[in-house]
Amino acid sequence: MVVGDFANEVDVLVVGGGPGGYVAAIRAAQLGKKVTLVDKAELGGVCLNRGCIPSKALIHAGDEIHKMKNSSHMGIEVDGVTINFADMIKWKDSVVNKLTSGVGSLLKNNKVEVVQGEVYFTGEDTCKVATESNSTTYQFNHCIVATGSRPTEIKSLPFDGENIISSTEALNLSEIPAKLIVVGGGYIGLELGTAYAKLGSEVTILEGMDSILPGVDASMSRMVKRNLKKLGVEVVTGAMVQSSDKSKDGVTVTAKVKDEEKTWTADKVLVSIGRVPNTDELGLDQAGLETDEKGFIAHDEQMKTKNDKIFVIGDIAGQPMLAHKASYEGKIAAEVIAGEPSVVDYRAMPYVIFSDPELAYTGMTEKEAKEAGHDVAVSRFSFAANGRALSLDAADGFFQVVADKETKQVLGAQIVGPEASSLIAEVVLAIEMGANAEDIALTIHAHPSLPETFMEAAEGIMGNAIHMVNK
Amino acid sequence: MAFEFKLPDVGEGIHEGEIVKFHVAEGDSITEDDVLAEVQTDKAVVEIPSPVTGTVKKLNAAEGEVVEVGSVLAIFDTDGDDADSSDEEEKEVSNEEKTESQDEQKESAKADRDSDQVAKKESGTPKAAGQDVLAMPSVRKKARELGIDINEVSGSGKNGRIMLEDLDSFKSGGAKQADAGEDKQKESAKEETSSKEEQKDSSKEKKSASSVAHEEEERIPLRGMRRTIAKRMAQSAFTAPHVTIMEEIDASELIEVRNWAKPIAEKKGVKLTYLPFVIKALTATLHEFPTLNASIDDENEEIVLKKVYNMGIATATEDGLVVPVVKNVDRKSIFTLAEEIREVVDRTRNRKASVEDLRGSTFSITNIGSFGGQYFTPIINYPEVAIFGMGKMADRPVAVDGEVVIRPMMNVSLSIDHRLIDGDVAARFLNHVKELLENPKLLMMEMN
Repeated sequence: MVVGDFANEVDVLVVGGGPGGYVAAIRAAQLGKKVTLVDKAELGGVCLNRGCIPSKALIHAGDEIHKMKNSSHMGIEVDGVTINFADMIKWKDSVVNKLTSGVGSLLKNNKVEVVQGEVYFTGEDTCKVATESNSTTYQFNHCIVATGSRPTEIKSLPFDGENIISSTEALNLSEIPAKLIVVGGGYIGLELGTAYAKLGSEVTILEGMDSILPGVDASMSRMVKRNLKKLGVEVVTGAMVQSSDKSKDGVTVTAKVKDEEKTWTADKVLVSIGRVPNTDELGLDQAGLETDEKGFIAHDEQMKTKNDKIFVIGDIAGQPMLAHKASYEGKIAAEVIAGEPSVVDYRAMPYVIFSDPELAYTGMTEKEAKEAGHDVAVSRFSFAANGRALSLDAADGFFQVVADKETKQVLGAQIVGPEASSLIAEVVLAIEMGANAEDIALTIHAHPSLPETFMEAAEGIMGNAIHMVNK
Repeated sequence: MAFEFKLPDVGEGIHEGEIVKFHVAEGDSITEDDVLAEVQTDKAVVEIPSPVTGTVKKLNAAEGEVVEVGSVLAIFDTDGDDADSSDEEEKEVSNEEKTESQDEQKESAKADRDSDQVAKKESGTPKAAGQDVLAMPSVRKKARELGIDINEVSGSGKNGRIMLEDLDSFKSGGAKQADAGEDKQKESAKEETSSKEEQKDSSKEKKSASSVAHEEEERIPLRGMRRTIAKRMAQSAFTAPHVTIMEEIDASELIEVRNWAKPIAEKKGVKLTYLPFVIKALTATLHEFPTLNASIDDENEEIVLKKVYNMGIATATEDGLVVPVVKNVDRKSIFTLAEEIREVVDRTRNRKASVEDLRGSTFSITNIGSFGGQYFTPIINYPEVAIFGMGKMADRPVAVDGEVVIRPMMNVSLSIDHRLIDGDVAARFLNHVKELLENPKLLMMEMN
C-alpha cells in the first residue's frame, strides 16, 4: 500500500451488478449486512443491457411483424407494413432503461452503496477499484464476485464491432442488415437469427455440430428447424469456419462443410459460439485464487472459494450460464455470509429458448431418467389438442412429461410450443415439491389455457388422460 | 517445507473452538511448543502450542472466529525437508491429551476423531439433499437450519416423503417414524376411526402451538457451554438413579475454628472460607467409604474405585455452571486448599481455566448456600457417583439437651447414584461428615 492510500473498509463487497450481483447485494442487505456493489458499466449486467431483455424485446417485435404479414388465413389482410428500426431500437432501449433504473432504486432502497469502477484484487481481502481518473483501495470482510461472461471470439472472425459482431452489437444495429450470417447455432444465435429473419434479413446459420441447438433433445429442435425453413433461413450444419474476408460489400465467410469449402457473403456476421467467463482481469492470483482451463473458479456448495472470504456466483462459477442460476447462487452466497446454513440445493434448473416455437425443458429427459435407474413413464400431449393453443393459432408442439413409472414422481419435462418459457415454471415447482403425476392430474387447471397440457400429460402418465388416447 | 497444522482435538469431545488470540502473526518465526493460539472451547480456554519450529506462513482463522477440530489452523514453513506429516503430528498432539483424559472423555474424543471428516462436513457446510430425497424445498431448508442431514431422515409421507414433523422426530431421536401409517389406516379404516380422529386433533394442536410459538416465544440456539451443560445434566439424571438425603449440621464449633484461623490465613495472604474444612471432612469420610469416590464403567460392567481424591467445585460463571477441580485434596493443608480453590475458581470465572483445571474430579461439591437455598437435590457430576451440596448457614432454633437454643445451622445434601450406593451407606457417610464438621477437632485426628 502506498503512503496516503487508505483502504475503504467495507463489510460485503459485491463485484458486478448483473442478475447475480445485484440480487446477492440486496439479499445481503436484507440480512443486515453493509453492502457495496461495484460495477464497471451499468447496473443489470449483460442480462438487462445486452442479453436476455433487449433480445426478447427484438424477438417480440419480430414476432408481431411476422404475425401481421402471416394472418391472412384469419382474415387479416395487412398492406404496407413498414418498420422504423430506429424507433424499434428506441423502444427496446426504453424497456431496458425501465429495468435498469428499477435495479438502481432497489439497491438504493436497500441501502446498498453503488460504486462504478473495475475491480482488481490486491490481496486476500483487498482490492483496487479503478475508474478512468483514479483508483481506490477497498478492504472487505467478504466479497461476492459476479463478473459474468462475454462472447467468445473466433480467431478467423475477430470482432470489429462493425461487420463482425457479437450479440452485444446485434442488439444495437442502426439498420436491419439485408444479409446476416450467424456463426453458431446455439440458442443465442438462433434467437437473434430468427428475429432478424422475421424483420426481413436474409439469414444463414452456420453450425459446427451435426445439429442446431446442440445439447437439446432432437425431438424438440426438429420443430425449430422446420419453422426456420419456413422463414427462409438457410441452416448449414457441420460447417467449420475457416476464414473471413472483409470488403466493401461486407464480409465473406469461408467454411468447410463435409470436406468442401463454401463461401457466404453478408453485410453482418454475428458470431455466437459461446461465452467465456470474465475472470482473466481480476487479479485472482493476488487473492489466492485461480481458474480452471475454461476460466471458471472452483467453489463449494455454498459458493465459497478456497479463499473463504471470497464467493463466486453466476457465469464465473460454472455452467450453465443462466441469469436465474446466478440469482439463485447470489442469494445462497449472501445468506451464507450472513451466517445462514444455506447451500445450493435445487432439483430442477429450467432452460428456456425463445426460438420459434419456444422451447423449454427441466429435470431429466427419458434417457437421463433411465440412466439414473428409473423405470420410466413418458407422456406427451400435443398442443394441437389444446383449445387455447389452437385459438392462439399456435398449435405446433407438445408438452412431454417424464415420470417414474412406479411412484409417478415427476422427473422432468420437455416443452415445445407457445409460451413454453412460462409453462415450464409449473413443472419446476412440481419437481421441487416432489409432486407426482397424480398430484398434477388432481389439480384443477383453468380452461381454456395452455397449462391444461401439463395436466393432460400428467393424466397420460396415470393412464387416464381425457383428451388423448391413453397408451 | 510447508507444514499444515490442523486444530487438534483438545479433549472433552469438543469439535470446535473459538480463536481467542493468536500469539504470532503471519511471517513470525516460532519455536516448537511456543504458544501459537488461545482457543476457547465450550468449557475452557486452551493454549495451543506450535507443533514445529519454523515461520508462520499463513493463519487460517481470525481472532474471534470459530474453528472446527481437524481444519487447518495454520501453515508453517519449516526448514527441514521431512515429508508432510500433518496427520501424524495431529495424532501426537491429541495422544498427549488423550493419556490424561478420563475414560469417558477418552471414548468421546476417539469417537470425535473417527467421525472427524463427517463432523466437519456436518457442522461446516450443510448438506444438500440428494436427488432421491422426497421433500419440499422449505422442508429441506428447515433441515439445514436444524443441522439435520436430510439424507438420513426417513419420511413418513407417501413414497417416503419427508414431512416437517419427520424432522422434529428425527431431531428428538426417533429417526424411524411409524411407517406408512396412512395406508394402514385406510385398510382398517373402521377400526381406527377413533384413533385417526385423535391423531387429527393432536396434529391440529401441534400446528396451532407452533404458530403461536413465533409470536410468544424467542428461540435461541442451544450452543457452547449451555449445550454441554444440558447434555451432561441429562446424561447424569437419566443414567444414575438419584437419591438425595439431607442433614442439618451445627456449625458452632466450625465457625469458631474458622474465625480463629482466619487472621492467621490472612497473614499468609489466604482468604479462608468454610469450603476447605468441608473438603477435609469429605475426604476423610471418603477414605472410610470408598464406593462414593468411584464410578461405574458401564461398558465393562465394573466398579472403578478411585485412589486419588480430586474435588470438583461447582462454580457459577457468566456462561453457566462449570466444575473446576482441585487435585489431590487428601494431601493438601487447609490453607493450601483455600488458596488453590480461590485460584482455580478465579481462572474459571475469567475463562482462563485450562482443560487440566476442568477434569479428573472424583467427587464434587456444590454450594448453593451463598445464593440462599435451604435444601436442594444436587445432580451428580457424572460419571462420579455422589455429590455433596451445601445449603444456607443460618441461626435456627434447635433442641439441645431438652432445651430450645439458637444455633448456627448448615443444611447439607448428599445425592448418590443408587446403582452403586445404598441408602444406609449414604446415611452413614453423611453422619460421618456431620460428626467431623460438628467437631472440627476430629479433623486433626484424621490427618495423615
